[in-house]
Amino acid sequence: MRAGLIASLAGHTAILVWGLVSFPDAESFSVPQVETLPVDLIPVEEFTQLRLGERNAEIRDVAALNPSETPEETPPQPADRPGDSQVQQPTPSPAPAPPPPAAEPEPQPVAEPEPAPAPVPVAEPEPAPEPQQEAAPAPQPIVTSVAPRSKPTPPRRAPERETEEVVDQVAALLNKVEPAAAAGQSSQDPASLGSRQGAQNIRMTQSELDALRGQVAQCWSPPVGAVGAEELKVRVRFNLSQSGDVSGSPEVLNSNGNPAFRAAASSAVRAIMRCQPYSLPVAKYETWQEVIINFDPREMLGG
Amino acid sequence: MAPHEGFSLIDLFWQAHIVVQLVMIGLILSSVWCWAIIVDKVLLIGRTQRQMNRFETVFWSGQSLEELYGTLHNRVNHSMAALFVAAMREWKRSHEGSRPAIASLQQRIDRVMDVTIQRESERLESRLLILATVGSAAPFIGLFGTVWGIMTAFQAIATSESTNLAVVAPGIAEALFATALGLLAAIPAVIAFNKFNSDVGKAVARMEGFADEFSAILSRQIDERG
Repeated sequence: MRAGLIASLAGHTAILVWGLVSFPDAESFSVPQVETLPVDLIPVEEFTQLRLGERNAEIRDVAALNPSETPEETPPQPADRPGDSQVQQPTPSPAPAPPPPAAEPEPQPVAEPEPAPAPVPVAEPEPAPEPQQEAAPAPQPIVTSVAPRSKPTPPRRAPERETEEVVDQVAALLNKVEPAAAAGQSSQDPASLGSRQGAQNIRMTQSELDALRGQVAQCWSPPVGAVGAEELKVRVRFNLSQSGDVSGSPEVLNSNGNPAFRAAASSAVRAIMRCQPYSLPVAKYETWQEVIINFDPREMLGG
Repeated sequence: MAPHEGFSLIDLFWQAHIVVQLVMIGLILSSVWCWAIIVDKVLLIGRTQRQMNRFETVFWSGQSLEELYGTLHNRVNHSMAALFVAAMREWKRSHEGSRPAIASLQQRIDRVMDVTIQRESERLESRLLILATVGSAAPFIGLFGTVWGIMTAFQAIATSESTNLAVVAPGIAEALFATALGLLAAIPAVIAFNKFNSDVGKAVARMEGFADEFSAILSRQIDERG
């Protein structure tokens, strides 16, 4: 028995010593360095705010939502909030000015090649390497109040230049394109709801509209069985009183050849009437005094 | 709760609650004792089997029983040799004196060999129950230490009013150490107990077989002389 005891003690001591040596301390987990991402809490209102552009609004230095990286090759994109700018901005077209060949890789100030005499010194000081700045050099000396925009824009009109005729040509070309000024263009959602008072600042947010839409959708029994039921979009305009009740009778704005459309339209109207009163922020009553709701079976039901 | 210094084995031990420390010490001691028993039994059973093998070869080699008894009866014998010596001693004693007691000699020899087998198996089985006890109880003891440690750890968490993992983890790590020790003691004990149990059973069966054979031989002798 003594041999066993000695052997056991020796073994345990050995294991203990080994444990002390090989487990001196727990190794801390090597956590890979995670880059800290700055997170700003932004109310969704800022993005979904419905706002109508104004042509004579103050110019503001607003970055584009989707800054375009390729200024020359892309199809024309409406400038971000075009109505904000003082000078009317024509929509960039693939060939903003007739003279420069389109294949030219390096974006040059457009005014440079053709109107030879004057703009040369202008283009000279800042041949900005950044493509986004390309438009800046040309107009700078002329319209001093206009700050360079982050959005690549073709040169603005230079009305007082001696090369007026050329510029007029350009302007004539560009003016064929409608100035892109539409409410809610920056939002990805289809503009389902608008207001006649869009000229004001409408602070009805998309989420609040969605809430209203959800309230209506709960009461709506759509025309399920009808042929082509998913095509039965009903557009209804109705007025709301301050208490959230529907005042007057809702008005169906569109029509459809589908025989079931009448049923769908009346069901939409019924839904609107049945679900009142709606709970909406009273402070923004002006904005939801009159609302238009699209009853789209796919969206409101399919979720 | 004191700031945690480290996670080495010593740290884990010293930072634990006193109850947990006692549990750990008890488990380590029981582990030491178990292994002592295991080593002892391994040696004992191995030795016993070797002795039995050697004795059987000698016994069936055709050597005269008297001679064998002469060489063996002065030694300290175990297992089969002890059986043989006990039976032969009874045989000799019964033939001594003027009036040999032959009539119930067979029964006496059987009785003597039974007693010897019992003694031998007792010797082989001694302390095996300790292994069984440790094997079944050590996990519970370790679990008790763990529960106690986690209890105190949670109390410490409550007082520090933080659920940070850095506060929670050390106490739990200490507490789990007790269960680890319990399992460390229990697993070898259980395995060894089962192995030794079967080994002892085999050895005893072998001795019983030899006892029967030897009893048959002696019985023949008695009848031939009778």
